[in-house]
Amino acid sequence: MTLADGVQIVSFAILGVMMVSAALGVVLLNNIVYSAFLLGGVFISLSGLYVLLNADFVAAAQILIYVGAVNVLILFAIMLVNKREVFVPLPRTGLRNLLTTFVCFGLLGLLGTMILTTPWAVNLGAHPDSSIVRIGQHFFNGFLLPFELASVLLLMALIGAVVIARRELVPEPEFPQGPSLSLPERPRTEVPTLAGRNEQ
Amino acid sequence: MPQLPNWINLVEKEPPEDLAMDVVSLAALNTGTIVPELLVIGTLLLVLLADLLSGRQASRWTPYLAVVGLIGAVVSLGFQWNMPVAEGFLGSFQADHLGILFRGLVALAGALSILMAIRYVNEAGSALGEYMTILLVATVGGMFLAGSDEMVMVFVALETLGLASYLLAGYMKRDVRSNEAALKYLLIGATSSAIFLYGLSLLYGLSGGETRLSAIAQQLARQDISQSLGVLMALVFVIAGIAFKLSAVPFHQWTPDVYEGSPTPVVAFLSVGSKAAGFALAIRLLVTVFPGATEQWQFVFESLAILSMVLGNVVALTQTSLKRLLAYSSIGQAGFLMIGLAIGTPEGYASILFYAFIYLFTNLGAFACVILFSLRAGTDEINEYAGLYQKDPLLTLGLSLCLLSLGGIPPLSGFFGKLYIFWAGWQAGAYTLVLVGLVTSVISIYYYIRVVRMIVVKEPQEMSLAVQNYPALTWDMAGLPELRATLIACVVVTAVAGLLANPLLTLANNAVTSTPFLQPQIQVAQK
Repeated sequence: MTLADGVQIVSFAILGVMMVSAALGVVLLNNIVYSAFLLGGVFISLSGLYVLLNADFVAAAQILIYVGAVNVLILFAIMLVNKREVFVPLPRTGLRNLLTTFVCFGLLGLLGTMILTTPWAVNLGAHPDSSIVRIGQHFFNGFLLPFELASVLLLMALIGAVVIARRELVPEPEFPQGPSLSLPERPRTEVPTLAGRNEQ
Repeated sequence: MPQLPNWINLVEKEPPEDLAMDVVSLAALNTGTIVPELLVIGTLLLVLLADLLSGRQASRWTPYLAVVGLIGAVVSLGFQWNMPVAEGFLGSFQADHLGILFRGLVALAGALSILMAIRYVNEAGSALGEYMTILLVATVGGMFLAGSDEMVMVFVALETLGLASYLLAGYMKRDVRSNEAALKYLLIGATSSAIFLYGLSLLYGLSGGETRLSAIAQQLARQDISQSLGVLMALVFVIAGIAFKLSAVPFHQWTPDVYEGSPTPVVAFLSVGSKAAGFALAIRLLVTVFPGATEQWQFVFESLAILSMVLGNVVALTQTSLKRLLAYSSIGQAGFLMIGLAIGTPEGYASILFYAFIYLFTNLGAFACVILFSLRAGTDEINEYAGLYQKDPLLTLGLSLCLLSLGGIPPLSGFFGKLYIFWAGWQAGAYTLVLVGLVTSVISIYYYIRVVRMIVVKEPQEMSLAVQNYPALTWDMAGLPELRATLIACVVVTAVAGLLANPLLTLANNAVTSTPFLQPQIQVAQK
């Protein structure tokens, strides 16, 4: 075992312990703020694993997007809600937790067996120096169409975000309004639709 | 070379070709394969710009622009039919005949649900321009999904359709039911996407880094692991993701709440367009990637079909809201469609296409009636329909015909759809499926007829409050003529398509027999 291999194994062990303990903390802690911060820890350890796998671009993107954007957004959401509420523990939580644990460990066992019994196809081709060049080539080669479709997706997401976030001015209907039309969606302060509609 | 654990199996593989060397020329991309989708994307940009530049005045004519764009897409799909089958974008997209028909179905569903929505969206006080933009993006996503032949493309198209659907479900922001629907749809949809993606990543790993569906199948066959635990796990995860889109039991829990809470034109699109895209994806992905595990996935779909038919049709019996009833009925109808997938014969796939075409018009016709009634009476409750035939003959006729066709009453087209699907199942020896289908069809007739009977009650004193206060029939308000045209078109197709079943069936059969990726299945069926 060379020195590089030793460093790799030790750093894998450290990252693995960090990741598993942080992930357990996310699930098991009751304070949601702690959970959110620990989720950032999970993402950072994961990006460390990506570095070990020679995926430098993915590691950077993981930190920028997941820690920098997603996790910060989660923390913002928690702080904006910031509602002190005493949660009454639900009845029979113990049984439910037991069942969840059982299912989760079953899934873990199944996936573990699957990973160990499968003859994985390993591609030992030459690793390119920089994965960014390779990713760029893929974007303009085999993955051109999904890359372009993603721009339509992002445009739609942008419009959708504006639709959700904008303050709703109840517009006067563009077309002349009939006397009798009403939908449950339209805010109504008057009497229920059917009873008093003709009097309005 | 580092020492590898013994469970790692080295694959002989050509060194990755130097990608910089083969400069891709524009002609090699075969851009012509996605012309219909490009038309829709161009239309949605135009709609967006018109809405941006001329404000809400534009909503007087942008719906027609959107519909013209979608019809143009359908026409260009018709031209594509006669061209030789080509793969576009280096294998990301296949313009085969099966895909063309499914893409046409999605585009038609998009066009009809825009026409239905004009009055409804305006009435609900929401902006029409953004609504149409998002709906067009959903249509594009569904069309791409029906033809994509590569895992990254499948996932991006699936997410385009999915995200657009979540946004549309929550489009009526001031209505709490719409908010609830959007949130439920988003959370369950995100979970199922994650599961689907996990399945795809397993396939990527098992095949040694392939993303094209046919290349994955080749690699799996070469390593002789088509039946290994890893591939079966991938199969289970992929099916879980697809079954969510098809709303097959037990992945259906989102359906009733989303259908009840979302704006009705959106529900109409989801129940038809999204489902057609899901079936296209299911056929292509399962047939191409898992030829070695055909028995397994057919067994899974057999169980899903039986569960969906039984649960969808039985629970529909107890519903009091027509939208919720149509939600459960759509679960049951997806069960009937899954019979075609579970038997896996060419007739089965052709019957899916034929039934999906009929179901498109029948179900959209039913939803057009629900929209019209809720515009006029402001409710979706079944009890409020009592005595409607004395006030609104067109609505009565349309809703009765559509519901009876959904139930499969003989002269209407739904009967022929079911007949063909059951016949295909019987030919393939799937007697259990066909018997369950027949029994649940009878159950479904009961609850469809219950609504029809409610509409045509005779005594005036049994008339509901909503119908007693029914407004005078006017069609001169903007958006209503379009709704009426959609309704009449859907009802006419529902009534007539059964009699014209022969050309439609020939078309569906031709599509299946001339689609390259289905050839192995056809050869198996011929033996």
